[in-house]
Amino acid sequence: MTDVKNMENAVEFKRHNPKILKGNFAAAEAAKLCKAGFIPAYPITPQTTIVEELSRKVATGEMDATYVNMDSEHSVFAAAMGAAMAGERVFTATSGQGLFYAHEVLHAIAHFRLPMVVCNVGRPSIPWNIWADQTDSLAQRDTGWIQIYTETSQEVLDTIIQGYIITETLDIPVMVVLDAFYLSHTSENVWVPEQSLVDEFLPPKQKKGVEIDGYHPKAIGGLIPPEEYETFEYAWWKDALKVEDLVNTVGKQFGEKFGRNYQAVEAININEKTEMVFVTTSTITTTVRGILNLHPEIGILKIRLMKPFPKKSVLEALKPLSDNALIVNIERNFLGGKEGALMQEMKRALYGERYFKMYDIYAGMGGKDVSPITIENMIDKVRSNPDEIIWIDFE
Amino acid sequence: MADLVYKFLIGEEKVYPGALSCRGCGWALLVRHIASILGENTVYVVPASCYSIIAGPYGYNHVKGSTVHTVFAAAPATATGVRAALDRQGNKDANVVVLAGDGGTFDIGLQSLSGAASRGERIIYVCNNNGAYMNTGIQTSTATPYGAVTTTNPNPSYKKTWPKDLMGIVSSHNIPYAATCSLAFIQDFRRKVERAKNADGFSFLMIDGPCPPGHKTDPSQSISIARLAVETKLFPLFEVEHHRVKINYYPKKEIPVEECLKLQGRFRHLFKENATDALKTIQEQVDSNWKRLVKLEEISYQF
Repeated sequence: MTDVKNMENAVEFKRHNPKILKGNFAAAEAAKLCKAGFIPAYPITPQTTIVEELSRKVATGEMDATYVNMDSEHSVFAAAMGAAMAGERVFTATSGQGLFYAHEVLHAIAHFRLPMVVCNVGRPSIPWNIWADQTDSLAQRDTGWIQIYTETSQEVLDTIIQGYIITETLDIPVMVVLDAFYLSHTSENVWVPEQSLVDEFLPPKQKKGVEIDGYHPKAIGGLIPPEEYETFEYAWWKDALKVEDLVNTVGKQFGEKFGRNYQAVEAININEKTEMVFVTTSTITTTVRGILNLHPEIGILKIRLMKPFPKKSVLEALKPLSDNALIVNIERNFLGGKEGALMQEMKRALYGERYFKMYDIYAGMGGKDVSPITIENMIDKVRSNPDEIIWIDFE
Repeated sequence: MADLVYKFLIGEEKVYPGALSCRGCGWALLVRHIASILGENTVYVVPASCYSIIAGPYGYNHVKGSTVHTVFAAAPATATGVRAALDRQGNKDANVVVLAGDGGTFDIGLQSLSGAASRGERIIYVCNNNGAYMNTGIQTSTATPYGAVTTTNPNPSYKKTWPKDLMGIVSSHNIPYAATCSLAFIQDFRRKVERAKNADGFSFLMIDGPCPPGHKTDPSQSISIARLAVETKLFPLFEVEHHRVKINYYPKKEIPVEECLKLQGRFRHLFKENATDALKTIQEQVDSNWKRLVKLEEISYQF
């Protein structure tokens, strides 16, 4: 979350340098600041400039890492898995088909409890489309990765730094998700922290004694009989329950150190007078922010931590809301069912706790622009008592 | 006494007793020899294969070294990550070894094998070629020999295509070392493991893997059948340094392929009266392959 006012007034963040960066370059900058040691890569639009920039940083000696051009995304993630098993701090990036192709390995990485941070610049599947869409990452919700969705280049950079603390604390991999082009290829003001500041926050990768090193023989991943398999899933489940609190804690600690606070969700203008709350992710949030001065009756619930879904934070954020308020989910994803991912998650989070009339709006799939006018159309449409599921600006 | 110990091929065992392989399986024997040469500072990367089981279930480790189990299609990619990490951590002496079957090598893993070979990763890739997906119950792979029956090529629909020339494919990547190995020629095999270990880059070993349940053979005949495969030129022993081919063993007598095939139940149908054409086809192909190999050796040192 960028504080736009701060930027305009040029409030300086201490021990930072202002730069103009596209989302993808902010991601590469963050990987460097976090001292990722192993970067397997494969090109796919629109993430390609992330790995291009990282290959340049490594080639010029600006960054000390091993960069490898792999033969596919499946191999990228399999290589990431091998290096993480041996205790390296790993970073890579992918998009759309690449993420779909790596699906098998995503499961393996999460089940091996390997820490790593990976960026996904979202795009949909066939027919070919390379533009903004969250279907690819949302289709990986059940692979066991933590997923955090970002709104600005600043948030991309900051979230990757927080991501390494989270992943190395819990040994659960983290996926940081960017919107294609609206974020990946759009230049913004970014405060880039000095290396020493990041080093104070994120220590070098600590080994835990379970890594492959060659000197202490061990086996990882052998066949597990039915009597024992559940013990691994149970231990993982116990840790998955800690994710929401940890994301909030790390976000707060990050704020104390860097001057920018982050939480699992962000509540904007949610109070007892709020009539309608848009549930948003990523760059669409910025667009909705832009119409709030015209619509004091509208609020926003920005979901940053998408998986595991932050139920406690959502309930807390909606606490001031009157029971008559409407919840409107904006879905830049299509998962082959009636509802989009946000509606599914929101219903699950609220079940048995609060009841609100809830709407689901499919918008902006395959990169279609969601403009302020589109948001106005959403408000009008919801007020005209429509069906629960709406396709907006659609003929 | 010291002399006696000296004469054992394996000075110190680097595997634990009690491997889970079937009787007469090649895996346990080949890993025992490889491990004795490579030592404990070795990481074995294992995709889905019979060795996934033989390596031991959770809590056990067959080798005195490290074992990493990984996804079927990408063992060379996982090995790439392990290699890079160990190199970064200063353990450049470690050996990183892929132990894969023919399905994981010829079929589903071919792309990542090609990628690792092309990049010149310092990895030893070992393919135990037993000619089918044996771990899942004897299904056809592209390494399955012409004429063999499997559970997915049941008689009379025995396999009627020749296995792909994987040695040709791999050595075409211009790698420093590739070789075929037989458990019946153990000193040759051990020498090749040493060569692979010392190769400057990606090295590849393909071993003719005995499989009594899959080949329908008597476990006590595993080694003698492996020897016959070399003697009949069904499985020639050769090595390739970059593009240069060297044949390591010239059979002294002409022995027809039948002598090897008739000992294996998977070829039994070829010995029925109406199936003699298939035997002839196999003999012709084997002769042709051998002549081609000899020619390759001849021209290898002319440039």
